[in-house]
Amino acid sequence: MKLKLVLYAFAAIGMLSGISLFGQSYAVTNAKIVTVSGATIERGTVVVRNGLIESVAADAKVPADAQVFDGTGLTVYPGFVDALSNLGLAPRPTPAPGQGGPGGGGGAAAAAAAAAQAQPSNSNYPAGLRPEEATIDDVRSGEAQFEAVRNAGFTTALSTGRTGIFTGQSVLIDLAGENVSDMTLRTPVAMHIAFATIPGRYPGSLLGTFSALRQMFNDAKRHDQLLKMYATDPRGMVRPAADKSLEALIPVVNGEMPVIFVANRENEIVRALDLAKEYNLKAIIAGGQESAKFTQRLKSQNVPVLLSLNFPKRTASASPDADPEPMDTLRFRAETPKVAGKLAAAGVKFAFQSGGAASINDFVANAVKATENGLSKDAAVRAMTLSPAEIFGVSDRTGSIERGKIANLTVVKGDLFGMQKTVTHVFVDGKLFEPKPPEATAGRGPGGRRGEGGGANPSALPNVAGTYSINIQAPGQALTGTLNLTQQGGQLTGTMVTELGTTQLKDGRVTQNGFSFAGSVVFGGQAIDFTVQATIAGNQFTGTVDSPQGAIPITGTKTP
Amino acid sequence: MKAILSLIVLTLATTVTSFAQNRGDVLIKNATIMTAARGTLEGTDILIRDGKISRIGKGLSAGANAKIIDATGKVVTPGIIDAHSHTMLSAINEGSLAVTSMTDVREMLDPSDVSIYRALAGGVTSALLLHGSANPIGGQSATVKFKWGRPAADYPIPGALPGIKFALGENVKQSSRSIQPGQTFRYPRTRMGTVEVIRDAFRRARDYKQEWDDFRAKKTKVPPRVNEELQPLVEVLEGKRMVHCHGYRSDEHLNILKIADEFGFKIGTLQHALEAYKFAPEIAKHGAGVSIFADSWSYKLEAYDSIPYNAYLLWKNGVLVSINSDSDERMRRLNLDAAKTMKYGGVPEEDALKMITINPAKQLGIDKHTGSIEQGKDADIVVWNMHPFSPYSHAEITMIEGEVFFDRAQDKINRTLIAKEREELEKLDVNRAPGAGGSQPARPAERRIKERDEADLERIGGNR
Repeated sequence: MKLKLVLYAFAAIGMLSGISLFGQSYAVTNAKIVTVSGATIERGTVVVRNGLIESVAADAKVPADAQVFDGTGLTVYPGFVDALSNLGLAPRPTPAPGQGGPGGGGGAAAAAAAAAQAQPSNSNYPAGLRPEEATIDDVRSGEAQFEAVRNAGFTTALSTGRTGIFTGQSVLIDLAGENVSDMTLRTPVAMHIAFATIPGRYPGSLLGTFSALRQMFNDAKRHDQLLKMYATDPRGMVRPAADKSLEALIPVVNGEMPVIFVANRENEIVRALDLAKEYNLKAIIAGGQESAKFTQRLKSQNVPVLLSLNFPKRTASASPDADPEPMDTLRFRAETPKVAGKLAAAGVKFAFQSGGAASINDFVANAVKATENGLSKDAAVRAMTLSPAEIFGVSDRTGSIERGKIANLTVVKGDLFGMQKTVTHVFVDGKLFEPKPPEATAGRGPGGRRGEGGGANPSALPNVAGTYSINIQAPGQALTGTLNLTQQGGQLTGTMVTELGTTQLKDGRVTQNGFSFAGSVVFGGQAIDFTVQATIAGNQFTGTVDSPQGAIPITGTKTP
Repeated sequence: MKAILSLIVLTLATTVTSFAQNRGDVLIKNATIMTAARGTLEGTDILIRDGKISRIGKGLSAGANAKIIDATGKVVTPGIIDAHSHTMLSAINEGSLAVTSMTDVREMLDPSDVSIYRALAGGVTSALLLHGSANPIGGQSATVKFKWGRPAADYPIPGALPGIKFALGENVKQSSRSIQPGQTFRYPRTRMGTVEVIRDAFRRARDYKQEWDDFRAKKTKVPPRVNEELQPLVEVLEGKRMVHCHGYRSDEHLNILKIADEFGFKIGTLQHALEAYKFAPEIAKHGAGVSIFADSWSYKLEAYDSIPYNAYLLWKNGVLVSINSDSDERMRRLNLDAAKTMKYGGVPEEDALKMITINPAKQLGIDKHTGSIEQGKDADIVVWNMHPFSPYSHAEITMIEGEVFFDRAQDKINRTLIAKEREELEKLDVNRAPGAGGSQPARPAERRIKERDEADLERIGGNR
């Protein structure tokens, strides 16, 4: 059976290259169907055709031409949605080999590369303060990039950029389709504002960020007024400047386009809500890790939350003579898993998002944790299906299992909220993906886990093991420390020690010309997940530390 | 175990609520009251009703539900007011531009800053929270009461005259000393440039005001911009916003007084003003207040001519003087800084107390409501274990508008409760460090970020 399916799938892909996928029909029978919009069907059939849900019912007729899956023991959910991500965007640029070789300067080169990446623009505003930028312009075509996320059951994601105060008007994409037009569900969905700064110029501090935003909102309102005056009667009036940045803000200050504020902690949420109130913005809070403290305000201002599932946890061990962690931090970590339950109880609309977590697996794992802390399982499923669709204004076409809606479906074997679960089928826009079962244990032994890039031959990999003194060019404060790498074939383990503490390396890999790993540090009381990509040349490496806070250069020199 | 924890949390919560809801009558009995208005009253009671001082007198009585504080042998003063602080601010300096009047520290209030509670423990109830000193014209300020435990919106004092920070001298002209490669130095780089920037800004503000006046008079058709930068300066020109001007050298502070005269407004306070004693009559003539340190000097080149007799000399010349902290740490000891003015020059006791109470209240435009113990004023009151000018003194109860926000006895109880809560919290998986072993000690974040103990050595520019 299984083999047959795989063959079909291959055949389908083979036949369909270049032609429409429409026409293929699938039926999942005898499955539990969690429709989310209506009652759960304990045993029923979902039929998919032409990218849409053709029928769903306990006794839905299976078409003669449908490829049928026996869903006994399987549960069909609406496709999971990551309500805030960077999916589809290129990974952070890593310095090309040759740049920043021996003699240093690698960090500066990486920074310059990052700066050069800022697109040329005729905007009157500096990079980072350009609301006209649309994320869809940066989304890459091709669906292979989404494999890991799709395998975890995700069919849809909201995507925005990583940098700036205006991080880019977001695009809602389905995680399949070979070109961006096919992937796009809706664009633009919302304006995105992060309380970030533009180092080295105005606004260079949080103070300036707020005053700069306020001035731009004022100017956008006035610009709207002037454009209307000019359209009515241009004579005797200096023509309003063609300012695409201000034009992009007009739907925002008119309350037509929602604004998604990244706001996790109490102060950030208050500031976002205050600003939204002052300018009558249609606000959405993203992150919302302390949003449970503001359920009344969120309800009265009608502000939904894109709740981060990147729960904070202590990841670094401080030395015995370090000060104890602040109570705020300890309480914050203990409280975060309870937030979803509290929002639900108070009737605040919310959707789950990955929150920049290093691994998508944390998403479902922490959604489960939320259900152990006061959230009902139904509400948890809703927060990753229909609720985000409602918040993003697409619930008429996706987010639940209903006839005629987009065939975004996730089929799970076992209990989604239990320990034993496997995503067996994912339909994105009616296209079937069957996640491969995970390879026998994330291998510790030799040959357990393949290197990245399609089986790099371990013998061709460089030897990167050793101790490096490292320098991380964090804005405003350079961090120094040591990186201890232990290599076993293509795998890398070890620790990174900086002023922020000791971090155990995760997912360490040796690549053809360098290495990569993930980790987490505690900064300002919050766990920050990061990944490092580095290129090695002789006894030095240059690379980038990628975190939700941005990309910063890292360099290292091997200590003999 | 969990039950114990929730019990503790519950107890803590009720404690806090009982503070917050305590708007009933309070009777402070048999105290030595240093009024900062009408001398010191012995064996006197204060009746507080609806957050205000309702009566002051001997043998007062209150209703059955009133909270009675027996202050026998204790000293009661008005809540201390710090006229120069950067506490509870998430960002202090917008150093990128020479004029940042569009910024407003009211948006940066962080009510979780434990410095607030520590200030209360030092008897401080109100403060002027200022933008940093990186710019000739800095951001708008906030005048707050330290209502610890309340949301940020409850801190600013309604009706307090708005303020704005100006700055002169070293900090301003060196503010781009740590520029990144490829960046240019920020103008101004000299003291004369600083004066030019301020004068230019006021000329622009005047033009801006004219633009709006013309529009409102229907002389023009197109509405002008709402300019966040110039609007506060128009308010200064109209006398609706006070200027608090950081500076050290007398020549520079004289310059700012001249600019103010030129544009027809009054300077609220000269801040730091370590050389103010050199031109005290001129300051008195302009009517500016002066807010200084009691006895700090030589911590930077500009501070070499500072003398501890500054407060005394200014006071003698009829200048409105206050003693400030500019520091989360020294804020807790302003009572002792006030006492120093008695040692250096011999300021009388009541005038010394006024320098940390009613004088700063006047400088911040809140003296109608706070700053002294007088009938009808807000009950912002500190109960000290002894005379607050003694180095052995400490605040026992600090209240704002009749609500107790610091209680030394309660604090002792809370400490055990918090210690227990910490113990429980630290057992949680999320709070446990992965693996064993240590690394070099982490620099405590709080100290790293808020290193402000040396007066005005705040890091300038950058991300703050």
